[in-house]
Parts: sequence; C-alpha cells; structure tokens
Amino acid sequence: MDAMTSSSILALTGAVLLIIGELAALAKMRNVLHAMLLATVAECGFVLMGFGLHTAAGWAGAFLHLAYQLVMRGLVFLALAVLIRKAGSSRLDRLAGSWQREPFVALAFGFGLFSVMGLSPFKGSFSKFLVLYAAVETGHWALASAGTVASIIAAAYNVYIIQRICFEQTSSTESVRWKLNWSPSTFGILALSALTIQMSLFPQALLRVATSLASRCPGIVPEYESPWSFLVLLPYAGGFALFAMGLVSARLRNFAAVALAAATLYLAWHQTADAASWLCAVLFAGICFVVVLYSTSYITGRFSNRYFFLLFLMLGSLLGVATERQFGNFYVFWELMTWSSYLLVIHEQTQDALRAGLKYFLMCTSGAYVMHLGILVLHAHLGTFDMAAIAANAAHLTPAVATIVALLFMAGFSVKAGLFPLHSWLPDAHPVAPSSISGPMSGIVTKAGVFGLLKILYLILGAATLSSSFFAGWPNLPTFLLGASGVITLLFGEAMAYRQTHIKRMLAYSTLAQVGEIVAVLSLGTYIGVTASMYHVINHAIMKTVLFLAAGALILRTHQYSIDGLKGAGRKLPLESICFSIAALSISGLPPFGGFFSKFALIYASVQSGHLLLAAVMLFGGVLAAIYYSRVIRLLFFATYEGPELSAAPFTMRLSILMLTALVMLAGVFPNFALGYAKSVADVVAVSSGIPVTPVPSLQLLWPACAIIAFAGAILAYFVGKRSTVAAGSVAVASMAIALAAILLRSNRFDLLSYWFAALIAAVGCVNLLYSIGYLRHSHAHSRYYFLFVSMIGGLLGMVASNDFLSFFAFWEIMSSWTLYFLIIHEETPDAIVEGTKYFVFNVVGASFMFLGIAMLCTRAGTFRLDLIASSVGNMPAAWVIGAVSAIVAGMLMKAAVLPVRIDVQMHPPTAPTPVSGYISAVLLKSGVYGVLKLTAAFGGALVLCKLGRITGIDTLQYVVAVIAAITMLYAGAMAVIQTGIKRLLIYSTVSQIGYMLLGVSLGSSLGVAGGLFHLVNHMLLKNTLFLCAGCILAQAHVHSLDELGGLAKRMPITFSCFLLSGLSISGVPPFNGFSSKWLIYEAALQSNHYFLAMSALISSLFTLAAVLKFAHAAFMGQPSPASASMTEAPASMLLPIGLLTAVSVVISVVPGLVLVPIMHIQTALGLPAISATWTGSLPGANAWSPAAMFALMAVLALVSTIYLRLCNRTTVCTRLYTSGAIDFDLRQAQTGAANLYEQPNTLVRHALRVHEEEEQHV
Amino acid sequence: MSDLSSLIFQTLVFPGGLFLLTLGLLLKGVERRLRARLQRRVGPPLLQPFFDLLKLMRKDTSIPQDAPAPLFKLMPFVAACSMTVAAVMIPIAGVHAAPSALGDLVVLFYLLAVPAIALMLAGSGSGSPYGAIGFSRELSIMMAYEAPILLVLLSVAIRVGRAQGGFIALSLNDIVSYQQAHGAFLFDPRMWPALAAFLLFFPANLGIVPFDIPEAESEVLEGPLLEYSGPLLGVFKMMSAMKAGVVVSLGIALFYPNAPAGALGLLCFVLKCLVVSAIGTAVLRASMGRMRIDQAFRFLIQWPGLLGLASLAAVLWRS
Repeated sequence: MDAMTSSSILALTGAVLLIIGELAALAKMRNVLHAMLLATVAECGFVLMGFGLHTAAGWAGAFLHLAYQLVMRGLVFLALAVLIRKAGSSRLDRLAGSWQREPFVALAFGFGLFSVMGLSPFKGSFSKFLVLYAAVETGHWALASAGTVASIIAAAYNVYIIQRICFEQTSSTESVRWKLNWSPSTFGILALSALTIQMSLFPQALLRVATSLASRCPGIVPEYESPWSFLVLLPYAGGFALFAMGLVSARLRNFAAVALAAATLYLAWHQTADAASWLCAVLFAGICFVVVLYSTSYITGRFSNRYFFLLFLMLGSLLGVATERQFGNFYVFWELMTWSSYLLVIHEQTQDALRAGLKYFLMCTSGAYVMHLGILVLHAHLGTFDMAAIAANAAHLTPAVATIVALLFMAGFSVKAGLFPLHSWLPDAHPVAPSSISGPMSGIVTKAGVFGLLKILYLILGAATLSSSFFAGWPNLPTFLLGASGVITLLFGEAMAYRQTHIKRMLAYSTLAQVGEIVAVLSLGTYIGVTASMYHVINHAIMKTVLFLAAGALILRTHQYSIDGLKGAGRKLPLESICFSIAALSISGLPPFGGFFSKFALIYASVQSGHLLLAAVMLFGGVLAAIYYSRVIRLLFFATYEGPELSAAPFTMRLSILMLTALVMLAGVFPNFALGYAKSVADVVAVSSGIPVTPVPSLQLLWPACAIIAFAGAILAYFVGKRSTVAAGSVAVASMAIALAAILLRSNRFDLLSYWFAALIAAVGCVNLLYSIGYLRHSHAHSRYYFLFVSMIGGLLGMVASNDFLSFFAFWEIMSSWTLYFLIIHEETPDAIVEGTKYFVFNVVGASFMFLGIAMLCTRAGTFRLDLIASSVGNMPAAWVIGAVSAIVAGMLMKAAVLPVRIDVQMHPPTAPTPVSGYISAVLLKSGVYGVLKLTAAFGGALVLCKLGRITGIDTLQYVVAVIAAITMLYAGAMAVIQTGIKRLLIYSTVSQIGYMLLGVSLGSSLGVAGGLFHLVNHMLLKNTLFLCAGCILAQAHVHSLDELGGLAKRMPITFSCFLLSGLSISGVPPFNGFSSKWLIYEAALQSNHYFLAMSALISSLFTLAAVLKFAHAAFMGQPSPASASMTEAPASMLLPIGLLTAVSVVISVVPGLVLVPIMHIQTALGLPAISATWTGSLPGANAWSPAAMFALMAVLALVSTIYLRLCNRTTVCTRLYTSGAIDFDLRQAQTGAANLYEQPNTLVRHALRVHEEEEQHV
Repeated sequence: MSDLSSLIFQTLVFPGGLFLLTLGLLLKGVERRLRARLQRRVGPPLLQPFFDLLKLMRKDTSIPQDAPAPLFKLMPFVAACSMTVAAVMIPIAGVHAAPSALGDLVVLFYLLAVPAIALMLAGSGSGSPYGAIGFSRELSIMMAYEAPILLVLLSVAIRVGRAQGGFIALSLNDIVSYQQAHGAFLFDPRMWPALAAFLLFFPANLGIVPFDIPEAESEVLEGPLLEYSGPLLGVFKMMSAMKAGVVVSLGIALFYPNAPAGALGLLCFVLKCLVVSAIGTAVLRASMGRMRIDQAFRFLIQWPGLLGLASLAAVLWRS
C-alpha cells in the first residue's frame, strides 16, 4: 500500500516536473542553451513517471528513455556547443541561420532534436509511449494527458528552434560550404549520430535489456514495432540511394527517381491488401509518380537532392499509412509523413514558408499525439496493436470507450484532412510549398486523413460499436461531429476560396471544401455514401493535383501568384492553361469530366439517405466553386496578356500535367471504372461494419451517335481553326450536317418528340454555323468559337437523345454551363464578361435545382431510366414527388428565363456573338419547354395528377406554370417595348414568346400543346431570322443602341425584307405562321375557360408588334446615321441562312400542316390528346380557318391591285421630303429616335414595372 | 374549289370589294354633306368621294427619295386588302354568313389591326419626321384601345357561348344567329357597358375626332399620309372608307344584327350603317375638338377599359 502511494507520488511529481519543465523551456526559448537544459530536466519527468507507474511498460519505458535521452541529448548538446562557439552566444537570435556557417553541425543538431521528439527517418524513440502506455494501462488518464500535452509543448519550441537554426536564411550572400572540420567535437558528433541511427534501426538489443530490467514489475511491455513491408522499404531506401546519386549527377538521380516511383507504383498495384488499403496505396503511389516526373524539371537548384530524398520518404510513409496493419507502425508512418511533408513545405526556406511550416507541423504533430493516446487506449483494452484483432474485438469495448477512442483518432485525422476547426494550417501551408508538393498535399496527404477516418470509424471500430450511441436517443456522436464539421468545412472552404486573390490559396481553400464534402457524405455511413466519398477521393486526388501542378507551371513562367496576375496567360501557355481549365471545370462538378460524376454520386448519396439539406448545401457550394473557378479560366483565356514573352513549361512538367488531365477526361468518359474501385472499398466496409449493401447505379452516360459526331467535329474544328478560320467553320457545318444525318437515319433511337427536336437542333445549328463563317470574318479566336459552339450543340443533342435522367442532366449541364458561358463571353469586352458571368451563375443555380429534383426521383426509384421512374412515381410519397417535380420544373423554367423575377438577369445577355444569341433564343431556351413537355409526358396523366390535384381543369403544377408563363409574356413583352438596345429588345421579345410556348404546353389540351410546339418551331425560324438580320448590321459596326442606326432599308433591302416579314409574323399578324401558332394558343386558352390567360397572350402580341416596329423604324427607315452610312448588304454566306429561314417560314405560313402533322403524331406518341391535322388542310380547332385560303385571297387581291395600278397614271416622281419649307438643315436631326417613340405607353410601362431610365441604358 | 371561287366573289364583289367600297364612299359622302349642314355650309355633292378617287388615280405617283420604294408602294394595298377580307368575315343577318375558312373573332380582331400597322409602316418608311410622329401616335393609341375592344369582343362571345352551354362562341355567325333568336344585345342592359365601350372604340379605331391624332392635319400634316399622293393615296382613301364600313358592320353584328332575310335585310343593314356612321360621325366631327395624344391615351385606357371590365363582369356574373 505504502509502495503504491509512494510510487503514485513519484509519478505525479514526474508529471508536474514534466509540464513545468516544458513550459519553462518554452518560456526560455530565446536562449537555446537554457531551453535545452530545462528540457532535459523536463524529460526526467518522463523517467520519474515511468518508474512511478510501476508497471513493466513504465519501467521499460523509463530505462529506454534514459538511454535514448543520453545519446540523443548528448548529440544535441555537443552540436549546440559547437554552434554556440561559432556564434559567440547561446541566444537564439545569434544562432539563427547557423546552418549557413556550419551546415554539418546544424544538420546534426536538427537530427538530434528531431530524434529527441521521436521524429526522424530512423524511427526514433518510443520510450515516451511506453510510459504513456503505462499510464493508460493503469487508468491514470491525467498522467497520460499530461504526457501528451508536454510532448505538444516540447514540439512547439523544438521545431521553432530547429527552424531558426537549421533553416532560417540570415545572409543571402554567404555560400554554404559543405566541408567537415575534423576536430574532436566532430568525431563526437559523428559517433553519437551513428549511435542514434543504430539504436533506431536495431532497437531490439536495448529493448531486451530494458524489458529484462523491468521484468519484476507487473504487466507486459507492448510489442510496439513490427517489420516494415517491402512496399514501404523500397521508396525509403530508394530515397537514401537517390540522395547519394544526386551528389554524383542530377540527371542520373532524376532518371532513377522516375524509375523508382514507377517501380513503387507497380508494387503498389500488385500488392495484396484489402480494397481500401489497396486503393489508397495505388492512389498515393500513382500521384507521387506523376509528381516525381513533374519535379524532375520543376525542382532544380541547391536543395533538389534533399527534396527528392524527402519526397520518397513521404511516399514511403504514405504507403505505410495506407497498408500498415499494426497501429504501432501506423503511428510511426503517420509521424514520418508529417515530418517529411513538413520539410517539403518549407523547401523554399522563406520566412513565410517557415511560419506556415511551423503551424503545419505543430498542428499535425499535436493531432498525432492525441491520436496516439487513442492507440494506447485500444491496446490497453484489447491488448494488441493489430488492426484486424482490434476490429474483431471492437464489439467488446464499452460505448463510452469506443466513443472516446473514436474522438481521439478523429482529432489526429481531422487535422490532416483539414477539417474545421482544425484546418488552419492548410491554407497557409499550400501557397508557400513548391507546387509539386501542394499538389500531393491537397490531393493525397489530406486523403490520408480521410482514409484514416474511414478506417477507424468503419473498418476498425465498426458501425456496430458506434451505433450503440453514447447517449441513448442522441445521434452517434463521432459521426455526428464528423458530419457537422464536414458541412462547416465545406461552406467555410467555398466561401473563403471565393474570396481569395492568391491562386494557390484559392486552391487550398477549395481543397478544404472538397474534403468537407467527402467527409460529410462519409459520415452518413451508408453504403452509397461510402462509395460516393471514396469515389470523390479518387477524382479529387487527380483533379486537385492537376490544378496545383498546372498552377505551378503557370507561376513558374509568369512569376505571378495572384489570380489577376495570370491575366491572358492562357494565350501564351495554352496547354498548361487548358489542362488547368479542364480540371477546374471538373472540380466545379461540370460534365463531361470526372468530377461531375463523383459530385453526382455525393448528392445522390445524401439524398438517398434523406439528407436533403446536405445535398442543398453541397449544391450551394458547387455554385460558389463554379463561380471562382470560372473566374480563373476567364482570366486565363478571356483577357489580354500584358507581359514579357513566355516559353512553355519544361517537357516533363507538361507531360505529367497532361497525363493527369487525360485521367480527368477518361474518368468522365468511363466513370464506372473509378466507381468500381470505390465500390470495392464500400464492400469491405459493408462486411466489417454490417452496413446493408444497396445497389449503386451505373454512372455511364449514354453517348448518342449524333452527340459523338458533334464533339468529334468540335475538336476537329478546334485544331483546323488554328490554321484556317474558314476551314474551321466548314468543318463545324459539316459535322453538324453529319450529325443531322445520323439523327435522321437512326430515328428509332428517339421518341418522336425528341426526334423532331433533335433534327431541328442540328438543322438550325447548321444554319447558324454557316452564318458564323461570314459573321466571324473580322473576329478573333475562331478555333475556340467553333469548338464551343459545336460542343454546345452536341450537349443539346445528347440531352435530347437521352432516356435516362443521368444523361439528360449531364448533357443539360454541358449545354448550359461552360460551353455556353465561354461562348457568350467570346467578345471579351468587359460588358460581355459581366453579363455573361451573371447568366452563367444563373444557369448553374437553375441546374442545381434540377439536380436536386432529379436526385430525389432517382434515389427513390433506384434507377435513372425515365420510363422506370415514371412507373414508380406512384409509389412515392406525395410530398416527395411534388418537391422533386417542382424543383426540376423550376430548373427548366429558369433555363427558359420565364420566372418573372428579374428577367434581365435570367435572359441570355445581348453581348454574345449574334449567331450564338440567335441560337440560344431559337433553340437553346426551348430545351426548358421541351423538358417540361417530356416530363409531363413521361410522368404523364394519372400518375402525377393524382398526386397534385387539379385546379380549373388542369393540374396544379401545370396551372402554376401557365400563370407564370402569362405573367412572363406580359412582363417581358412590355419590357421589350421600352428597350432601345438592338439585341436586348429581341431578347426580351424571345422571353415573351417562350411564355406563349409554355402557356400552350401547360394548358395540356390538344390545341394548347400543338400551339405551344407549333410556336416553338415558328419562333425558332422567326426569332433566329431577326437575330441573324441584326447580326448583318452588327458584323459591320460595333453598335449597341438602335439610335445609332437608320436608313438601312435602302442599303440592305434583302435583310430588311426578311426582318420585316419575320418580325410581323412573330408579332402575330395574320396570316403568317407566327399568327397561326399563336391563334392555336389563344383558342386553347379561351375554349378551356382561361380568359385572363388568353387576354395576356392577346395583349402581349401587341407589345411584340410595338417592339418590332420600333426596331424596323429606328434601324431601317429614315436617314442613315454616321454608323450606317457605310453599311452594305451582308455577303451571300450570311444572307443564305437568313433567306433559307424566311423561305421555310413562308412555306409553313401557307401550309401549316407541314409542322402540324408531325405534331399530331408526337402528341399521339406522348399519349396526350392529339389534334387532327392534314398536310394541306386548315388549322385544327373548332373555328378552324385555312391559311391556304387566306393566301389564295391575297394572291387574287394582289392581282386586283396590279390591275388598279395599271389603270392609274403610271408616272412616278422622286420627291424630297416635305420639311415645312426649311431647306438648309440635316434631316437626320429631325429623325424620331427609338427612345422617343411611343412616349405614353413607355411612361406607363416604366411606371407599372418600376423601371428607371438608367437601368436599360447599358447595352 | 367552288368554296374558293365563292370566297373570291365575296371578297371582290359582295360583301367585300366593290360593295364595301361603294358603301364606304357613300357613307363618307353623306357624312360630309351632313357635317356641312351642321356647320351651316352647303357641302359637297354626295358622290364627291368617288370624284376625289378618280382624280387621284390620274395623278403622278410620288415616292420620297429616302424611302424604300417597295414598302412605300405595298403598304396602301396591304391596308385596303385586309379590309376587304375582313368585310367577308362579318356576317350580315339574313344576307351573308361568314365563311369558316377565314376564321373567327380572334382572326378578325387581328385583321382589324392590319390597316393601322400598314399605315404605321408607311409613315415610318416615308422617312418624313411627320410620318414618324404619326406612326408613334398611332401605335400609342392602338395600345390604348386594343385591350378594351378585346374585352368587348370576349364579353359578347362569352355571353353567347355560355348561353349555348359552352364556354365561349368565337364565331360571329353564332353571335348573330343567337341575337336573331333571342333579341338584340342593344336592348339588353347587361350588354350596355360593352356597347358603350365599343362606341368609344369606334372613333379611336377610325381616327375620327376627337381621336384623329395620328393624322392630325393641323399638327402633323396628316402624318403618315403626308408623303403620299396620286393613286397610292387613293388606295389609302379607299381603305379608310372600307374600314369605316367594316367597323360599323362589326358593331351591327355584335349588338343589333336583327333584320329580315333577303333584299330587305340588306336595306336594313345599309340604313343602320347610315345611322351609325354618317350621323354619328358627322355629329362628332362637327361638335368635338381634337384631344392631345396624352389626354387621348389616358382617356382610352381609362374609360373603355373600365367599361370593358364591367362588361366582362356583367357577362360572367350569374351566367
């Protein structure tokens, strides 16, 4: 009893001594000698604790500690003595930068001090841990904690001192002379170093002695260390070999390094381990291989040897962390990973790097110490370090212990993974590290943390243990904390990344966000959740490494770290910038790249487990990511470069970036490949923690032939465009023609609606691309233009050809996100960029809504296929279906720009190249209408209706859409009336017309749907014509306002005729096609008792008329303006498309059956009530009238008119305008400008819509 | 094929074409004579509009040098032809039933706007500053009166449609036959707001005082017509006469179509036209001054608008 008490007092004294000693050392840090002496005293505390705890482990630890400290401290003091003598003082300020004077001694000092802390390439001491083990074993938690805290304090001042002495650069001129000074102290240092290495490499002898000395105490000495696997030893030993080689020849070393990395990758691939370890090891080795390749030309100069040495040490430790099955070694590797990566972070040895490195090292080491406590607790309870044995017996742990262990481990892993609130090292360390290190740091080192979390929570402790919650009725604490911190990290990371101006800092914060996503979904603990998070781990590792490596290449050449500084660099360093952009698009979750699919999986997983809020948060984060990544891409490519001429990055750098970028793209084309590996990890988890296995759907997109042709054409056009602009345009037109042929030939692939829509997409695409050849004659960046335009059409075709939601959404995103964005800002003017960015963000937000809705439907149905979903909608809860369908419809409506809030933001900007504007108005926006119809038909009739209830004859959702459409029609129509911007006026009118289509479609009756579709086709022809006519003007001068034009009718008679005809037709002037389709919609609304909807439609056509007449008046009539004085008719290549479109319009005006008969078939195919139409007959409906008859009358009347003119006097005189007698003035001054027309209606509209004069001034 | 030939006959001869032109010019002659009498003048002979037209046919055609000639020449014909077609679409009780191939009330509504559109394009295309002002004014006025007249048309159509057990009757033939069977709407107090709104629409659409603002002679020198002369001006004059006939006959069809069949019916129709057009127009012209464009715009938005809403409410209420 007495002995027990006295020993407890001894241990307590030791602990107090330890803490006080370390604190004192910390306080006395300014004087190294004092600090070291105090530290030595503190270490005695450990010895006292060991003896005091009175167990075998404690005693053995105490003995070992004595021996270790004796040798290692001896080394430290000896080296310090030499340094102090040289510096003449023991003050840290004087000692700082000693390595420049005495490199060898400083190296020995650093080595000794790291060894004291238990960190060095030679596994270091574990005497401390035996002591701590003794404390845990005997239940002295306070002592164990004190030991841990003391270690953390010691780490703080030790690393600080090491940094100042061994790394700080005090004088830049002094060259370092690596020459040994053969003196007695040198021999002593060498001897002690050798002894330290020997003790570390072969600890058995000393350990045996210590164990035998401790054998009279109770308890066991844990077997801490186990032999290393060959996979780890290879890079480890290789690192030393490389260092030696580097002393001889840098070239040789580089070759050897690449070979070694390749060999390691080969070994990692062929090792036999569980799927989780295998995946991690392969990922680590693979990324490192590329990084080594990159580094061979990126890292040159005086420290390159050290760099490669440490890089391979890091690789070895990472592989150890991934594959180790003993916690003892696991911890050693973990610490070595921190140590080696820390030294790599401070590679540049600048003040910033040292500061950031210190933070990194301290945080990670502290975390590791805490985690180590967890390891000891596990051993104390289960008696083993073997992971498999612990996993097998984890169920025996009490919930409290299991939770504490989990939390201790989580502390260590979360720091590494960069989880809030333990993240703060990450954004500091990444920017200062060499890019070749930031890449793997973000890509794989953080993943080591994620991997650790997966391992401890699901593989070792297992769901069974954790699900028995600490507090009954509460969520399982560790996973709850993990999820919460994941979400916070995600939001924090995205928000901070958004605010950064330093490119690498931005990337670092983005890593935070991505890891947050991964961890949040991992914490869900479902099979799909684990799969998705592992899947994203793979993709993110690749993408983020590309980003950092490419950024590194850019920085290397431009010497610019700020995002703004990279302006226009894309033109000078195209390969690097394109790779960067691809990875950036991928990480923003945009298809067709790898990141999209893992992002999809993450959202899918969170929706599947019912966490809609998490999905929403991720989507919000995705929007932010899309914004800040697109900003970089925009600056790279869409700004002018100002700076010296640049040469491309060295070959191996470009090669390594290219290799990984190819992986990013392949991951998009074959998403199931990586998904399979992720799934195999989830299988392991499912086995060990008893999570039910749920099927993970295939993420493979179905690429239709037409889309493949389009994308191939786009790429071909890109490369052809580098040589000849006209040839590029021809290739684009040709590819679109082939795509059209593919659609027509493979009609059985589509449903009827999609078939016709696809054919129109390709046909109008042909027309607009043909027009582009002429339009772009005086433009720039043709390659980019054709590539993006054709890709965008390819996306549309893919969307239309899809019959599953995944493909539908993926192609939707291709069509409406980046291709569209970069196409719209083609002109690169500030206006274009501002407007285009607004539109891009709006589209991404819209797509997010759709994403959520689609995920909701697909997870419940367990499939992506539209027909299968449709059949299982009936079994879903009503609220779920309503929510999902509303979200999807909202997304589609946003695409169609018809939500009546701030239409000026929703509509596509007028600053886009005109053929593109035309195409967007004519085709792209229709995808919203098409989608609504496809959805209505797919989920058609009874199934959704019975869920949603009915109002006034049509179902609720449709009614809501109809009302929205009506408001949009009026609002956008009225806005069009007051516009003076050339394209803005047309765009407002487009939005208004889309309102008509949606109104028709949402009425759901045979007439309504037919009218909507008919108007869709007509508007496609007519509005496109209007835009292309405007393009004929805009191609000749950069004008924005109608007031800058005038008198063009006489100069461009063909353009004018086509414009007027199409304009009157779209305004609904009988008997043209625009009127026919509107008439169907009016009738549908009137005859189904929706008078006010009909009134809106009827009145809105008047607005369109006013807008069209205003355009005609201001641009074409009156006196020519200075800008239009020199304008002439556009070339034939531009007039041909316009003429073609107009001719088709006229034919349809006379024979509406050409469109109505296919529509009738479509309606039948969709299962909707169908109109009855014939090829040459009249329009359908109760009061059907015949456009043919009307045109026949027109012909007769034309004849009569001619006769009248014959009867009259046929003398024609040309007169001057009557100007009330005034002769000497410029008629142009008397012209009524666009802004001055319709004063009263304008005032009324402005008043009613609260539009202020200045708002529509811009463009 | 016989359908088409009868359609052509109807368009060229009766009730469109010749008949409409004669009727319109005659109404004009009567109106001018009557107005002169109201102003204690002698006035021109009844056939003066015919003489004017013949005189214009023999004059030179003048085209302003900056105007796009095809447009400038085409617009008068577009305006006039649209009216002959429109006339065919309006039934005359007991005499003429509207052929279904030309459409319903909705088509007619838009066809009625075509002369205004043609006039606007003509004015705008002439390049004259006066023409542009006229164009702008015309459109402003049009925007003001189109919604109310739409309400009137819909009210009548809904009234008939509901009475027949449906939602809406968009065929003018139905509207006419319903009134012949159940009495004219002229005598139905529920339809009086609609009638009043129509009566306000009538001078605005025809450009009669106090709404002759787009072509105000003393302000903008006939605006869109300023640059026109000779045969082309003649066509516009014909259009103007025909339009008066069309709008009046539309009013008759909507509110008081009741008449016996055959020649007597035709006589009734012409008499009604004379009463409404000649007398109404003459009185208005003789007694009113012209409004300013802003006054007219506000007036037309307010009063016919309110009346139109009232008529729709009256129709929807308890039916």
